[in-house]
Amino acid sequence: MAVCIAVIAKENYPLYIRSVPIQNELKFHYTVHTSLDVVEEKISAVGKAMADQRELYLGLLYPTEDYKVYGYVTNSKVKFVIVVDSSNTSLRDNEIRSMFRKLHNSFTDVMCNPFYNPGDTIQSKAFDSMVSAMMVQVS
Amino acid sequence: MTRDIKEFMRGGEPLDDLISELLEHGEKEALLELVLLRAHEEMSVPDYMQCAEDHQTVLVVVQPVGIVPEDQFFRIYKRIASVAQVSIRDSQRNLYIRYRHHYLPENNEWGDFQTHRKVVGLISVTTCRSAKEWPQTSDRFYSQKEVFGATLYDSRLLVFGLQGEIAEQQRTDVAFYSSYDDCPDVEKRVEDFVESIFIVLESKRLDRATDKSGDKIPLLCVPFEKKDFVGLDTDSRHYKKRCQGRMRKHVGDLCLQAGMLQDALVHYHMAVELLRSVNDFLWLGAALEGLCSASVIFHYPGGTAGKAAGRKPSLAQGQAQAADAGKRHRPGAQEVLIDPGALTANGISADTSSEIGRAKNCLSPEDIIEKYKEAISYYGKYKNAGVIELEACVKAVRVLAVQKRAMEASDFLQNAVYINLGQLSEEEKIQRYSILSELYDLIGFHRKSAFFKRVAAMQCVAPTIPEPGWRACYKLLLETLPGYSLSLDPKDFSKGTHRGWAAVQMRLLHELVYASRRMGNPGLSVRHLSFLLQTMLDFLSDQEKKEVTQSLENYTSKCPGGMEVITLPDGLKLAPVPFSKLPIVRSAKLLDLPISLRPHKQKGLLGNNMSTKSPFIYSPIIMHNRGEERNKKIEFQWVQGDVCEVQLMVYNPMPFELRVEHMGLLTSGVEFESLPAALSLPAESGLYPVTLVGVPRTAGNITVNGYHTSVFGVTSDCLLEGLPSVRTSGCMVEVIPSLPRLQLSTSLPRSAHALQPSKEELSSSVSVQLFNGETQQLTITLENIGSEDLETLEVTSKTCNTKEKLFGEFLSWDLEEAVSQLPLKPGQSVTLTVNIKVRLDFSGGENLLQDLNDDGISMTGLPISSPLRQVLKPRAETKPLGSESSKTDYNHIKTLEAVMTFKYSGGAGKVEGYYRDLTLGVHVDIEPSVFFTRVSTLPATRTRQCHLLLDVFNSTEHELTVSAKNNQDLVLHASECQRIAIQVAKFDFDTLPQPDQEAVRYTNPKLLEEERLHAQAFMINSTLGITWNIISFVVGVVGRCIQIPIRRHLDATSGDPLARGEASVEGVLNQLVLEHLQLAPLQWDVVVNGKPCDCDIIADCKVGDAVPLEVKLTNHSKNAVGPFALTVVPFQDYQNGVQNYDLQDAVTFIGSNTFYIDTVNPTENSVCVGALLFLFTGDFYLNIKFQDDSAGQGKALPPSWFGLPSLHIKALEAPIEAGA
Repeated sequence: MAVCIAVIAKENYPLYIRSVPIQNELKFHYTVHTSLDVVEEKISAVGKAMADQRELYLGLLYPTEDYKVYGYVTNSKVKFVIVVDSSNTSLRDNEIRSMFRKLHNSFTDVMCNPFYNPGDTIQSKAFDSMVSAMMVQVS
Repeated sequence: MTRDIKEFMRGGEPLDDLISELLEHGEKEALLELVLLRAHEEMSVPDYMQCAEDHQTVLVVVQPVGIVPEDQFFRIYKRIASVAQVSIRDSQRNLYIRYRHHYLPENNEWGDFQTHRKVVGLISVTTCRSAKEWPQTSDRFYSQKEVFGATLYDSRLLVFGLQGEIAEQQRTDVAFYSSYDDCPDVEKRVEDFVESIFIVLESKRLDRATDKSGDKIPLLCVPFEKKDFVGLDTDSRHYKKRCQGRMRKHVGDLCLQAGMLQDALVHYHMAVELLRSVNDFLWLGAALEGLCSASVIFHYPGGTAGKAAGRKPSLAQGQAQAADAGKRHRPGAQEVLIDPGALTANGISADTSSEIGRAKNCLSPEDIIEKYKEAISYYGKYKNAGVIELEACVKAVRVLAVQKRAMEASDFLQNAVYINLGQLSEEEKIQRYSILSELYDLIGFHRKSAFFKRVAAMQCVAPTIPEPGWRACYKLLLETLPGYSLSLDPKDFSKGTHRGWAAVQMRLLHELVYASRRMGNPGLSVRHLSFLLQTMLDFLSDQEKKEVTQSLENYTSKCPGGMEVITLPDGLKLAPVPFSKLPIVRSAKLLDLPISLRPHKQKGLLGNNMSTKSPFIYSPIIMHNRGEERNKKIEFQWVQGDVCEVQLMVYNPMPFELRVEHMGLLTSGVEFESLPAALSLPAESGLYPVTLVGVPRTAGNITVNGYHTSVFGVTSDCLLEGLPSVRTSGCMVEVIPSLPRLQLSTSLPRSAHALQPSKEELSSSVSVQLFNGETQQLTITLENIGSEDLETLEVTSKTCNTKEKLFGEFLSWDLEEAVSQLPLKPGQSVTLTVNIKVRLDFSGGENLLQDLNDDGISMTGLPISSPLRQVLKPRAETKPLGSESSKTDYNHIKTLEAVMTFKYSGGAGKVEGYYRDLTLGVHVDIEPSVFFTRVSTLPATRTRQCHLLLDVFNSTEHELTVSAKNNQDLVLHASECQRIAIQVAKFDFDTLPQPDQEAVRYTNPKLLEEERLHAQAFMINSTLGITWNIISFVVGVVGRCIQIPIRRHLDATSGDPLARGEASVEGVLNQLVLEHLQLAPLQWDVVVNGKPCDCDIIADCKVGDAVPLEVKLTNHSKNAVGPFALTVVPFQDYQNGVQNYDLQDAVTFIGSNTFYIDTVNPTENSVCVGALLFLFTGDFYLNIKFQDDSAGQGKALPPSWFGLPSLHIKALEAPIEAGA
């Protein structure tokens, strides 16, 4: 269902990025990278209002011709970005939400690993397989 | 358009492919667009700089006519453009002017749609040198007027250079100036011109506004609509309404331009209502946009353009005035509400005042955006209105940027991206991307902005462009750097691991490299490529590393990279990129000089060596400063003129062999000649030590700042302070003035042996194999290989701690001769001869004592008549050597080691108090030669003498001879043991020098005793002089032969002994033997017949004659002795073991046969005299015994003290007397 899933560190560099058409990976790098502008804008807009009860899910960041980009920010300002094909109409907001939740849980597991240094790129197999599952599911 | 963008987002393939693919795509798209669109009917060139307040401006085109120098034209243009706002005298309204020096007539055709697009004024600038040219110039001016003729309100011609008659004439539309520099009233002229425009504008406004409702209102339309309305029923209500609505909108525009904001709002509102009812969407959109513009002008007097800073203050002021003016102009109008229902359907009321709304007519900021959205959605329905739509988007974004609503602005921009403007020229595409980038930047979306800037950059070099603009591309790419959080200063990357979006950053760097190369600036591409390699190394795959380095090498072959700062034309400075990761240096350590060259400070010259950092000798507060650690001075010193070393631990992170050339040191402080090295590090090497060397040329403190490398043709200076990952134990070291340098060579072969206690490093060492007791000469040649004179030389030696007991001096030499040759010039040499003398313990070990005990020879015993016979009896039977254990014990090779130290100095270093040490280790393997397995003494025939019996064992494999002083050679076969007897005079140890009282008091009595014994043993040994000679070799035993140095084989041919040496008994002698060898303190002298007698002397006497016997006692002991009673016992020895004591008939005493000696005080003597009378001839012995009664006294003294000789007297036949 997702064509690209990315985890971005607080300092806005990628911890993990994976896309389905591998030959065009850089395109997704650009897509995700530029989406950070929107993420930052959304965070700063919401942050002023109520920092505590902030909704982690940011919703659709921006649509492009072919893709829809969704964002999610953890309380520690780690960003998740999911890019889905815009032709895929079966995906509702709720599905995206649940994907992010799953991603967040898996990410938490990665962080709980005592051998993981926060700030390093994620190389967890469990995380990888979970991401793969999310990408494969529909496509 | 979006395709293009998508193309640029692709990665992976090289740039050239990307561009060529883009070309293919671009062509396809262009064909498609050609089919779909009627290109000429639409306004094709959008003005991206437009903003909402531009709606209130009037457009004036300023153009050159004929040949006008560009710089002059722009100077004039600038002056004209400074008149951007003119306050109209009577009406207190402001007119805003927008100047363009280039405007497409097609765009002008949209002037009815939005009046600010209409060119209403033309100012032409021309040069006219002479009156002759004037008509031609004038014609040109008129033809230019024709271009915009339909819309122009007024025009002006500025003529420069013309003087004379024509210039004199007064014309309103032409101004003459003598030169470009002399035109003081240009601004004034322009103001007049603007005022005239205003008059026309105002009249038009009034004209349109006061159109009678009954009159037929013309239908305004945009160029592409014209043919749509052909044949339309002009009388229909619908059509009329459309005409009214469009006209209202037009009037609104004019009002806005004429500075009547409130009127404009009202007109716009009405236009919206009218047009909405007839679904005239294009014009409805325009009316809505007009409403928005007017509201923006009201709400944001500061403007939304953001850039025209110069215009802002005046505008703000003007705006306020305009608002005021509007209020004053229509006093009381504010409170009147417009009732939309009041509008008549068939006409526009002439008096707008009745319809005037209050400020509420103005849209709220939120509404502005809503209305913009609506307007844009209406525009979107018309393909040909793409430019209008795009411009509306841009304007809306600017408004949103001011409102700080980035999210919505991004939506507008997103929309703008998709607006298709048909076939755009490459230049227009670039412009479009650039403006998108700018707008994104405006709303704070820096990444998006960078993205579009990059697309614009790529567009500059699209293959469709015949002359790709690599320079522009490069410049635009540089502008994207902040968006990708990339700085081109390598220092920003030195702090820990790189945290950034490496994939996109790398792509950008690749593009920079490529662009700079195509720009024809290889130096720049080398710099960027170096930067890429240095900062992105962790993110490059092995393949990429190879590719990058290959291309870097290609570039550097044309243009080597260096450390200079590259300054770009626009002022950007590119800092040099030192390759501190190629190779990676983990630690840097300054190395001490090799031990033989290390300088030492003379101990006596303290003071200048003491650090005077602090007045306190000790302070518990240690200044812990990490930064200082690097600057910490290192303990050791370097020497001027000598090669010094710094060791770096490096490793190669590349998957291939890394060749580093010209690797040298960067230093400061003293003049330093770095000797660069080239190294080749294997792929993915582990830590690899690299030693960089150099020679300090002056003295002082030197600091090693970093190192210099040349990798892939890029030279880099890596400073250690910029590399926090490098561990170093200090970089500063003192360089002392130069010292001479000695090279040592010896006559003996060098040894690979490290001396056993290897706590000290040695410059060199020699080893030799000797038999115990052998002496070897060692010639040492010292050559001055330095550049300084050798002025002092001292030699000392130290025997390493050894378990072996060593007798005599191991190493001895005479330095006098060598010292006499000083000072030694460079290149000269001096020789020194050292004697190596090995004399270890010759005793046979434990067995020795036992043997002695067995023997039980006692000195107090009776004299053995013929000791020599016994000596020569081989002892092999009694001491069999068959047992292996004892044999190995004897054959054990012992080692002896010593270190010779040559202390030397000279030159400037000596003045500073430094010297150098050269050490020579001497390693000697000692093979046992002979052993004394047993030692004992036998009294000699003389009481003052004694026989020393030594059982000598030959432990070598060779036949050898043993000789003592005055003795014959004794031949000993291998592993043979024989007894040797040496007659020695007893020793008077009292003559040995006494240790002085001071020493006695402080030393251990036990030690003192040992020392005494040692001295005694030495004295004995020196008189014995036992030597051994190996005269032949047993070649059969191969194993042994190998160990014998070659020198000996050479000697084997000659008749000389193969080896000779001494044998020392020092270690063999024990207390008991020593006692026996000692001269007794009581000295007894027996004189017979006036002749001193001893055991071996036969005294003659005549039968019948009285033989006087005198016994003299000299006391050398410390105490008084005596009194003693002596009895003389005569006897006869039959030489068969029978001794006859029954001699009363043969010998008679004259007087008593007992002598009495009184107490003798020390150093005194006492003599007692008696006489004997022999009655028969024969050999008699006299045994002088102590009387039993004196034994009590005598017992206190050792028995050896009473060694009285036994006398041998031969009584001869008395010469027959004549009478007898």
